[in-house]
Amino acid sequence: MTSPLSFAGFAWKNLWRRRLRTLLTLCGIGMAIGAFVALVGFSRSFEHEWMKLYTSSGTDIDVVEKTFLNTSVDESVETQLQAVPEVLQAEPMIYNLMDITPEVNALVFGWRDGSYEFDSLNFLAGGRFHAGKAEIILGDVLARNLDKKVGDTVELQGASYTVMGIFHGGTALEAGAIIMPLDQLQQLSSLQGKVSGFHVKLRPAPAGEGQERYLQRARAAIEAALPGLNAELASDRASNNQVVEMAHAVAWGTSSIALLMGILGIANTMAMSVFERTREIGILRALGWNRKTVMLLIEAEALVLGVVGGVLGVAIGWGALRLLSVLPRSASLASASISPWHLVEAFAISVLSGIAAGAWPAWRAAHLSPVEALRHD
Amino acid sequence: MTKALLEVKELTKSYDEGRIEALRGVSIAIEAGEYVAISGPSGSGKSTLLQLLGGLDSPTTGEVLFDGAALGKAIDLDTYRLLKVGFIFQAFYLLPTLSAIENVQAPMLATRLSARERVERAEVLLREMGMEHRFSQYPNQLSAGERQRVAIARALANKPAILLADEPTGNLDSVNSARTMELLTDIQQKHGMTLIVITHENEIANAAPRHIHIRDGKVLRDERLQG
Repeated sequence: MTSPLSFAGFAWKNLWRRRLRTLLTLCGIGMAIGAFVALVGFSRSFEHEWMKLYTSSGTDIDVVEKTFLNTSVDESVETQLQAVPEVLQAEPMIYNLMDITPEVNALVFGWRDGSYEFDSLNFLAGGRFHAGKAEIILGDVLARNLDKKVGDTVELQGASYTVMGIFHGGTALEAGAIIMPLDQLQQLSSLQGKVSGFHVKLRPAPAGEGQERYLQRARAAIEAALPGLNAELASDRASNNQVVEMAHAVAWGTSSIALLMGILGIANTMAMSVFERTREIGILRALGWNRKTVMLLIEAEALVLGVVGGVLGVAIGWGALRLLSVLPRSASLASASISPWHLVEAFAISVLSGIAAGAWPAWRAAHLSPVEALRHD
Repeated sequence: MTKALLEVKELTKSYDEGRIEALRGVSIAIEAGEYVAISGPSGSGKSTLLQLLGGLDSPTTGEVLFDGAALGKAIDLDTYRLLKVGFIFQAFYLLPTLSAIENVQAPMLATRLSARERVERAEVLLREMGMEHRFSQYPNQLSAGERQRVAIARALANKPAILLADEPTGNLDSVNSARTMELLTDIQQKHGMTLIVITHENEIANAAPRHIHIRDGKVLRDERLQG
């Protein structure tokens, strides 16, 4: 028996008739979805890495001045902070983003040499730096990108620093980071007596008090003791981080423009297709196809573009994210891990884009007069 | 008197805000199983009449009744075109992306027939048209006569009560013209269908048992062959 004609098969044949245009449209929506997967995935991965950075080091609360980007807290605040009963340890820290070479940039953290945050690092070679000395330790990914080992020197803004250790960080941010003595980074950043903020480790919650309630109480106590400073829970800090918010905004902004162009590409293809096939649509109407069925056919074609474009886009985006995670310029900011939910979200956006883009051409096709459509050349 | 299958009453159709009157009060009744030829010169209104009889368009005034039900009122035009009428056009109007057998299945895609029923019915119809070796050929791979036979098979796909043919031999040579008309009359007799042929060829018009001649949007003559 001959294979039957299906509705989907008919839609596909119509698309396949104009192979080049269909392929170009698929490339357009594929690139748009790919940009969404890569950029939004990258920014989410960035946020995730910040989150891990706090949780892996055991930090409960981050004390900063107003905003994350321009925070500058007097180092002497530490005495008042340590006096808060709930605070076990308060570690001053500075962080900065620096160009190490024209191709490689890295987050640079300034810690005291006795910081509890060293406990989360796993040294692969060498050991800690010493306060007051031009010494640094490197994350393993950065060491590999810079081709540095213990004993080598790294140039930072004209000054030379000896590599004392290479560590494996629990996050991409640490794996691509430099950590150096707090006083050295203060000097390098012209921030003598100032720090970016304090990472606070709390005492265990008293028996009978829930962890969340305890964290909120400790937070309030710190803010009461240090008027004008913000104490933020580490779990909130990653998402409230201005750098992360900016990364999200840029990712969503760029992706939205790409998606809009992808949608317009599908809409253009479908509108042209409907115009070129006016007579064929008239034939279908003459054969008794009602408006709904004609609309379904055009929407099915747009849907095929959305589905295939979505698969293509997820593959492109996943590949791009993997590339970003190994490129020296971006490897220090995010990992290649991508949540399945993000891929499902990207695919759903592609499918919905296809349906939305096909709506007007489908409506137009359905409302053609059969007589007028049959007369169309 | 037998009840009319298709009846038009005082049908008018005007275009361009009434400046062009294509039909001016046409009234005819066609019985089930009749073979009727409608002829007339260019611009006489015969194609407009076919469009209204086929539910492709709506009249300005008057009404078309199918089995007593007014088209567009008691019976939906889409349903009427899908299930009650089969169209055959001068330019064949096959869908270029579909093979011969797929073209025949196209009207059935809008029905509730199963995929198996659709393909089986299409195979039977194409065999009836002598097209059993051309199932997989696309319209551009078929001759004009073959295309018209696929179009006829397609018109029969949903087992309509009426076959409407608009200049079915207009694009065919004399051999294929004769063959197509023979095929149509055979189908009409075999299936007991109503066949309405629009033509400007006297030979075809005069061969029909009933010949309606239209001029200037009006019925000039409505003749039945005696015997």
